[in-house]
This record gives sequence, C-alpha cells and structure tokens, in this order.
Amino acid sequence: MSDTRISRRTLLGAAGLGALGTTLSYGPARAQKAYNPPASLIDAARREGRITYYTAAFAEVEQETINLFNKRFPFVRVEMVRAPGGQLITRVKTEAAANKLTADVIDHSDRGLMKGIEDLFADYAPPNADDYIPDVLISPKLWPRITPGWCVAYNSELVKNPPKTWMDLTNAAAYKPGTIAQVIAPSGGTTWTRIMFERQVLGENYWAAQAATKPALYPSGAPLSDALVRGEVEIAPLVYNVIYTKQRDGAPVQTFFPPEGIPIVPYATGIPKTAKSPNAAKLFLDWSMSDEGQIHSIKDHGNLTSLKTTPFNPPGFDPKTAKLWVPKFDEFEKLRDVWIPEWNKIYGYRQ
Amino acid sequence: MSQGARFRPAKLIAGLWSAALLIILTFLVLYPTAMLLVGALTNMNPVVDGYHPEAISISSFIDVLSNENVHFALGNTLVACAGGTAVAVIIGLFFAWIVVRTNTPWKGLIATAGMLPLFVPPLVAGVGWALLGSPKTGLINTFLARAGIEWRIDLYSMSGIIFVFGMYYAPYVYMFTASALRNMDPSLEEAAEISGATPFRTIFTITFPLIAPAIISGMLLSFVVMLGIYGIPAVLGAPANIPVLTTYIFQLTAWTPPEYSKAAAVALILMVATGALVALQQKVLSGRSYTTVAGKAFRPRSLNLGPWRFLTLALAIIYLLVVVVLPTLALIVAAFRRFLFIRDVASLFDMKQYGLLHFQRLFENPATMTSIYNTMKVGIITAVIGGILAFAIGYTVTRTQAPARRWIDIIATIPVAIPGLVIGVAYLWAWIGMPFGFYGSIWILALAFVARFMPDTVKALSASLMQIHKELEEAAWICGRGTLATIRTIVLPLARPGVVAAMTLLFILAIRELGSSLFLYSSSTVVMAVKLLDYYEGGNVGLTAAFSLVQMVILGVLIGITNLLTRGAANSSVGRAG
Repeated sequence: MSDTRISRRTLLGAAGLGALGTTLSYGPARAQKAYNPPASLIDAARREGRITYYTAAFAEVEQETINLFNKRFPFVRVEMVRAPGGQLITRVKTEAAANKLTADVIDHSDRGLMKGIEDLFADYAPPNADDYIPDVLISPKLWPRITPGWCVAYNSELVKNPPKTWMDLTNAAAYKPGTIAQVIAPSGGTTWTRIMFERQVLGENYWAAQAATKPALYPSGAPLSDALVRGEVEIAPLVYNVIYTKQRDGAPVQTFFPPEGIPIVPYATGIPKTAKSPNAAKLFLDWSMSDEGQIHSIKDHGNLTSLKTTPFNPPGFDPKTAKLWVPKFDEFEKLRDVWIPEWNKIYGYRQ
Repeated sequence: MSQGARFRPAKLIAGLWSAALLIILTFLVLYPTAMLLVGALTNMNPVVDGYHPEAISISSFIDVLSNENVHFALGNTLVACAGGTAVAVIIGLFFAWIVVRTNTPWKGLIATAGMLPLFVPPLVAGVGWALLGSPKTGLINTFLARAGIEWRIDLYSMSGIIFVFGMYYAPYVYMFTASALRNMDPSLEEAAEISGATPFRTIFTITFPLIAPAIISGMLLSFVVMLGIYGIPAVLGAPANIPVLTTYIFQLTAWTPPEYSKAAAVALILMVATGALVALQQKVLSGRSYTTVAGKAFRPRSLNLGPWRFLTLALAIIYLLVVVVLPTLALIVAAFRRFLFIRDVASLFDMKQYGLLHFQRLFENPATMTSIYNTMKVGIITAVIGGILAFAIGYTVTRTQAPARRWIDIIATIPVAIPGLVIGVAYLWAWIGMPFGFYGSIWILALAFVARFMPDTVKALSASLMQIHKELEEAAWICGRGTLATIRTIVLPLARPGVVAAMTLLFILAIRELGSSLFLYSSSTVVMAVKLLDYYEGGNVGLTAAFSLVQMVILGVLIGITNLLTRGAANSSVGRAG
C-alpha cells in the first residue's frame, strides 16, 4: 500500500485505495492560461510548413484535433500516420534503424514501449511543463499529450439495474452470462492499466469474481463500444473517450466514473531527434499540451488530463471526489509478463 | 548453319529470360520471405537488431508447435476453410454453369451481381453479417421475432463462419470455372449427348472433368484465400471464442509488446499447409491433358432448360438476395443510421434515425479523398505490372521448356502462404533500405501487392493458358512468326478473357488489401483499406459502412468500365467471365 502524496499544492492522497500504484486527484481550479507562442517559433514553423504526425490514437479523433490546430495555425500542414500501438512501434523502430524515420511527432498510448525508444527523441518540454503532474512523467522528453480515463458504460435501453461501482461488475446474480463484456488484458497498455488497477485496488480476487459473470471478451475497446451501442452486450468498462462521443451524439448509453477509482492512461508524446520540422512539431505539441489543447481534448473527446488542475470537467466527472489512479511505472513494466498469463487463465482467454 | 548452332541462341535467350524472372522473384518474394524466416528463427527485428546467424534457433517455432492454443486455432482454421471451400465450390460451379451454359433469363445480371461479394472487404462482410445474423441483435432475428418464430439464426458460430466464407469466396471458383466453360469446345458434350447421355450425366462425366484444372485452381485459391482472411472470423468467431490462425496472428501483432517473430513462426505453419496443398494440386494435374481450346472455331453451347430455366433463375435470385442484397442492405442501414441499436422492426423503419451524418464526417476528413486517389493509383499500377509479370511467369511455366521454370512456379506461389499482416512486416524489413525514396512511395505499395497476389494472378492465367492447344502456336511458328509475335497475335488474344480477369482480380485484391499496406504506407500514400481499418478501430461501424459503400460503388463503376471496354474485343467481361 503506497498512496503517494504528489504535491502539496495539487495532489491529495486518497485514503483507503490500498494501491501499489499512485492515487491522484486534481487541485483547486485556476484560471485558464492562454497559449501565445513566441513570434520566432511561429515564423520558424511557418517556414517548415508541415509535420508528419505518428499516432496510435483513433484517426477520426485526431483529425478533429488537427482541424482545430489548423484553425489557429493554418500554415502548418499536419500529415497523419495512424497505426495500432504494436504496429506503430515496429514501424518507428524499423524506420529509425534504417535512418528513415519520417515522423516529426510520435504519440503513443503505451509509455513502456515509448520509454524503450527514449533515445530517439530530442529534448523537449512544453512551456507549461510545471503544470503537469510529475508522477505521470516517465521521461523529460515524453509528455502526456492526452490522458484517457476508464469508466463503466451500459446500454440504457437494455439495462434496468445499472451497476454503480467496479465491484458491481462481479455480481453474477444480477447479470446473466454475456451481459457484461471486457477488453482482453493483453490488448495493450491502456487495458493493462485497468487490469492492474483491478488487482491492486479492487483486490486479489476481483478477476476471479468478475470472470464468474462469464463476460464476453473483445480484442479492443472500439468494437466493444460499438457492440454496447448495438446491444450485443449491455455493460462494459471502457476508456471514456471511446464511448463519450457516441453518448454525446445521442447513442443509448450511459457512463459513470466508479467511486473506487479511475485508472488513467497518460500518453507519451515526443519529437524525434531526426524531425525535419522540429519547430512546427514543437508548435503542435506546445499547443496540444496547453490549456487550450487540453480543454479541446477533454471537451470534445472525453479525455481527462495530466495537468495538476483540470481546466474543464467532462460530464459526470467531479474533480473533488474523483480518484485518479496511475500505475507505478516500474510495476507497469515488471508485472505485465507475470500477471497477464494469470488473467488469461482466469478468464479462459487463449493467448 | 547446323541445327545445333541454330538452337544455341534460343537456349541462351531462354536461360537469360529465366534468370531475369528469377531475379525479379528474388526481389519480390525470396528476399522478404528470407527476412521473415530470419525474424521467425531469431526472435529479432533484422533491421533494428541486425543479422546474427548465431542467434538462429527453432525454439520459437517449437514453442508455437507445442502451443495448445495454436492447435485449437489450427483445427478451427482447417474446419472453417474446408467447409467454406466446399460451399464455395458448390455455389461457384453451379452459377458458372447457369451463366455460361444455360438459357437462364437475366444471366448477364446474375453474373455481374454474383461478383459483388468480391468487392466487399472481409472486415465489412463480417460486420454486415454480424448485423444480420447476431443471435442477440441480428436483423434477421428481429424479423423472426416479429413473425412470432422462436428459432434464431446464430452466425457467431463455426457454421456461421463456413456459411459466410462459402458465399464470399464462391466468386473465385466462379471466375475460374466460368472462364473455362466459356473457352471449352462443346463438341465433346455434343458427342456425349449424341451417344445418348443425359444432360445431367454429360455435366458430371464430360463438362466438369474437362474443366477440372479450373475447378481445382478455384478451389485451391478460395481455400488459401480463406486461410489468410482475418475480418470474417474476427467478427463472427470472436464472440463465440472461435480463434483461427489469422486472428491468432493478428493478436500476436496487436498485443503489447507485439510478437512478430512468433507471428512469423505461426505463419510458417500456414506456409507448410499451403505448400502441401499446392504440391497436391500439381500432383493431381500432372500427366493429364486438359486442352479444350484448339484451332477449330466454336461457340459456347447453351443448354435449353425449358421451363426449368425459371427454377435456376429463382435459385440465382435467392443467392443474390442472400449474398448481395441482404448484407448490402445491412451496410446501407449502418451507413445511414445514426446508431445501430434496433429494438424491433418498427425501430428499424423509424426514418428519424437516418441521415447523412456518417457520409458528412467521412468527406470532411481530407484523408478520405487522398486515400481514394492513392488506392486507384496503386490499384492500376499493381494490375498493369502484376498482370504483365503474371503472364510472363504463367507463359514461361505452362508453355515453354525454359530452364528453372518449375522453380519459377514454386517461388511465385510462396506468397499465397504468408498472411498479409506478417508479409507486410517482411516487406518493411526487406525494402526499407532501398534507395531513391522507394520507401514511402506509392511504388513500394504496388510492388508489395504485385508480390503478394502473384500466386492468385499466375494461377488465374495459367488456367487459361493451359487450355490453349500448342498446335496454334506451332502453326504460327511454321508460318514464320517469332515467339513474341506468336504471343502477341495468337496466345494473348485467346487468353484475353483470362488476362483481363486476372488483372481485374489483381486490381480488386489490391484495392482491398490491408495487411501488407499497414507497414508500407506513409502520410501521403495512405490507402482506402488503411482508412477503413482506422474507422473500424475507432469503433464507428456507421462510418466504416459508409466508406465501404463508397468503395463498393467505386469498384462497381470501374468493373463496369472494364466490362464495357473488353466486351467487344474479346467477348468477355469481368462480370461474365470473372
């Protein structure tokens, strides 16, 4: 048990979580800071004119971010290469080894994988670096451009007795087999974070109790969110940004942040040393990391933030009571190979 | 000049020709495959980690072989593909016969519409049939419930995968067999009937045995294509916990960290299985003559079915309804409906739920149009280069005595055995170091597609070439024509239906190809298949369906144009001949 007091000013330890990870909560609200880049950076970015942006985030969502960035800085053309996490890392490593890395910005959900290629990145820190929670940073070169958080979602047309907590998802008497669904543990760093949370915070027996409800297993969150909307399954833990836009657009789903805690997944984003447009890349990343960029990420995409104070609250999120949880980075890496086979066995997943 | 001296230059040219083909195939096939083997046997990324011969070990392959999850996936794969192939052969052969050899009404329409499943990416096919046949939310079950019928269809099952596989890959069998039936001299069938054989007996004792190469080629192709399909078993098999090798391989590449070496090791199993099938095919075909296209002019025979032609028409309509109309309607519903929660039949027809939202979002994204443009470009380059290369290989293998032609055939067949996801990373490893900006260009995608689909194209062409009797070329040679002139004036015109079919097939496959695109596209060469996966992975089936419809329309228009352009010249078309 090692709840960590992150900073006197902003972070409060949440008593009773009993986690090996780190429990965080947002500090008191502050005024939004405007993002006004220096003229020299704007001029340099204008001369470069374009960046190539590698990301593991959803393309449709990232295109919206690019569009918004271009409303403010139309002189930087952002060309995106989007790939699933493992494939993106393979591409980056291979291109770098062949001296053909074309990315100006690399953005990834798995901090462990990014830490492994830290040497590829240039020194970089956003102007508001001090506003970020130190405990979510794994490298001075890599920054949490977005910070998705986990919620529980359910189909409001089908579920008459909705769960209210993480523990409710273990109630086999209340929910028939196949009613609840899960993303498989080995699907990537995002789900692995939740899996760690379940065991470290909700208890050693949580997996077995949850598996007893005979959940449907899905390879990733996006098809699961679609299945939830269609009514294939009725209840599922989901990364909030996967379901948020559907809920916003009127899909028959409801979500809530469970009181036991909200596992968050800070991304790792950096500028490679080999970037051909380092100034345009810096402008893009500075803007993304600014209050302006983070508000867009929260408001339009349903992410949370790794800023010490949240400049905007998504629906259903109360920063006073929300208990954010982030795994300790060394455990994130160390436990994966041991715990995932155990999870597979308990859930009957064939890896 | 002595006889021996006269032939020496020809032998030299033949040798140089074979050498040139082998060099091309080494670049396109052997080198990437070698990189794949290095990856599988060393547990390393050859580009990142370099070559370490001392690290070569079969341990990861042994691990895979002894993994009971792989056994389970392999068993499921064989059952799904064998069942799917059986269904595909029955459907494909039946419709080829209806279209080419009977007087069934509207057969041109039947032939054209029957090819539509080929245009549908497997992922979309899976989604379409999940919308129709999900045990909980399937539209068919919604209608069954409305009708008071308690029985429910469940496509989240092995029989569901077999059913959808069979329907979607029947066009492969159809393409080969329709082309062969059209090119077959009907005199043998006429002789059988004159001898008193019934039409039914004639079909099974004369017609089908004579087109056996086409049937076996179509069967083999559909089987191996099914072996490499991810989308259908991923969507229909996952909810029922039915893994197949492709879904297992995809997971290996998707898990964190990705296990490409293990994926390559699993791919070796597929390579061995496919290699065995190809060897079996050659053994079956060896020593038998299937020549039915000779010097005598003929017209394809049309059997008068009398009133029974309406039964064949009805069967064709049912097939089209099931294979084309229903899933297309499901896609249309998905593309135009804001959300796919459909409580009952009344909800399905609630027009307030429909609109152009997904199409608006689709075309607001500039990458959509970029991907369409790039896809067309890469599809055309692939079809032209691949078609020329496949003809060169097919002709060399089936109609010459050039040295090493058997090796050329074997090497050209290798890519069929390697799943796209795995071969994609092999191409990346192999070609990233090429000079002149090759990596990141449209050409790297096109060449990857040419290599990946070479077996399909070569087999398609070989089936046509095997039916052209040698006497036609010999006649041209006797008249003083050289080899190239003979090919241009005799072989190419006769094989034209097959050539057009093969190039069109290549175009379609290139447009749909995802696996080998994933690692080779750049920000400026993104293709439709990659965007489709982006939309699907974004959890938006509506957007995915909308983009699929756009893709189907584009393909339909292009196929129609191809059809028009080739109809007059060769009396053949994609829609009719496939």
